[in-house]
Amino acid sequence: MVFCVTCLFLKRQRTAFSSFSRLLPSIVRGQLILWSGSHSLLGDKSGLNPNCFALKMARSPLILVALICLVPLVCHSFSPESPTGRRILVLVDDLAIKSSHSLYFKSLSSRGYELDFKLADDPKIALQRYGQYLYDGLVLFCPTVERFGGSIDQASILDFVDTGHDLIIAADVQSSDLIREIATECGADFDEDPVAMVIDHVNYANPENEGDHTMIASDNFIKSDIILGSAKIEAPVLFQGIGHSLNPANSLVFKVLSASPAAYSANPKAKLSNPPALSGSDISLVSVMQARNNARILICGSLSMFSNRLFRSEVQKARSSTRLEKSGNEQFLTEISKWVFHERGHLKAVNVRHHKSGDEDEPAVYRIKDDLEYSVEIYEWSGISWEPYVADDVQVQFFMMSPYVLKTLSSNGKGVYSTTFKVPDVYGVFQFKVEYEKLGYTTLSLSKQIPVRPFRHNEYERFITAAYPYYGAAFSMMAGFFLFSFTHLYNK
Amino acid sequence: MVRSTGDDVLALFHSLRSAYAATPKNLKIIDLYVAFAVSTALIQVVYMAMVGSFPFNSFLSGVLSCVGTAVLAVCLRIQVNKENKEFKDLPPERAYADFILCNLVLHLVIMNFLG
Repeated sequence: MVFCVTCLFLKRQRTAFSSFSRLLPSIVRGQLILWSGSHSLLGDKSGLNPNCFALKMARSPLILVALICLVPLVCHSFSPESPTGRRILVLVDDLAIKSSHSLYFKSLSSRGYELDFKLADDPKIALQRYGQYLYDGLVLFCPTVERFGGSIDQASILDFVDTGHDLIIAADVQSSDLIREIATECGADFDEDPVAMVIDHVNYANPENEGDHTMIASDNFIKSDIILGSAKIEAPVLFQGIGHSLNPANSLVFKVLSASPAAYSANPKAKLSNPPALSGSDISLVSVMQARNNARILICGSLSMFSNRLFRSEVQKARSSTRLEKSGNEQFLTEISKWVFHERGHLKAVNVRHHKSGDEDEPAVYRIKDDLEYSVEIYEWSGISWEPYVADDVQVQFFMMSPYVLKTLSSNGKGVYSTTFKVPDVYGVFQFKVEYEKLGYTTLSLSKQIPVRPFRHNEYERFITAAYPYYGAAFSMMAGFFLFSFTHLYNK
Repeated sequence: MVRSTGDDVLALFHSLRSAYAATPKNLKIIDLYVAFAVSTALIQVVYMAMVGSFPFNSFLSGVLSCVGTAVLAVCLRIQVNKENKEFKDLPPERAYADFILCNLVLHLVIMNFLG
């Protein structure tokens, strides 16, 4: 019901009518079916959630429709105007994870996300219904799931990402092939041995209980303020799980937390018989991928990294005497979740304008050797609102098969980037191209086509400077002829 | 005694000069006019060799005006020269009128082609 009223609100008349007509028989019968009742209508701000009340009386539907029309339909779901989605589906193996990882989930819900916890093999879970996605983000904390329940499977998860939604995958020891395959599709190849863990005999944590050195303390972070936040993470991050490697040919995926050069991936309980397949800094513990449609995926090899136990634990690296009271896990994972859910580093470029210097309106055609100005406005999403983006490396190309002009745009501090240049001496159909790819930011790929014509017949310069001697010669010949004719005539 | 070629050239030069001094004054004026036209043409060719032939039409027009002027002046000189047996019956006014008209046509064409 809410769905069709929202459709009307969003002016999609046909979908509204078709969904309303589907519900009409049940309204006439005076009964509506209750879906998952974890949300109440008054607290539910997302217009596309098809939760409805259970009604037993025939007169209530009309009152309900009237009430729904009064509810402000502020749509908080993923849309170009507000890139941070609000509804996140969390699939877990065991509902105890809800309490054992509660600090992490609290950090998400305190920023306004609605978390929907479901068992991974629950037969009623679905990512989309009637072609609309029910959630804006997916968190897979289910490393041992063999088959998802309901209508979720590997293909539907990849479609979810392909339509621009974000994903967090946490694997662990004994993770299933399904999770490994999903991670491989996203660019991270976990170690094939199912019992292998990352072992580091140099950087293990908590040296007083030696153990098998699978709990490692790592501080090989990626150097990026936009992904990890501007505050430096003082404490190392505790990790206990499996490692993965990244395909070097994949340019979209990168390591956020990598293992030290002394780490390797092997079965901790068995003797090492062959050299390990993954070793050293090639092992990535946490990596991140930004797809070409700007969907962000976080792949982590340890589910226990997110747990309350490791969030609160003290950390001391072996061979180091400093003992820090709190590990860097909470800060690291909170900041990186902010990045994954588009609270940071999400850019939009609007209002591309170009015109001749001096004019204000956009011409349909430029002439060679014109002076033109190009401007674009770029904003960055701060989690709540669009702020002007300030940088000094946005460039525009005047492109026809290859860039004829490449200029760095200068910013005025309020998000307006502009530059002026002269159209080159070549005619044809050009494009204004802005291709901005910076680590951690969404890719901006703008292109606007404009033709460039040669000079018209009367636009050439009237007298060519190089030809002045020839003009002078011709005129001097005329003058000489004039004088000579007189001297010849009057010469005795 | 053997006369060197240097002496021959000098002797030739002196005889030319003395013969030329005997030509009438109006023919000398025409000769001066022709020399002016040819030298202007040469200057333009040297300039083109230095700078390149970019407005080629202008170059051709300039050189052609000089060369055409020279040719027409030479025709006038031939027809006006009293020692020339071929044009004995041609009135010099007729030669002069031809010269003027042809020059007008030449300069019209040059102005058009100059660009």
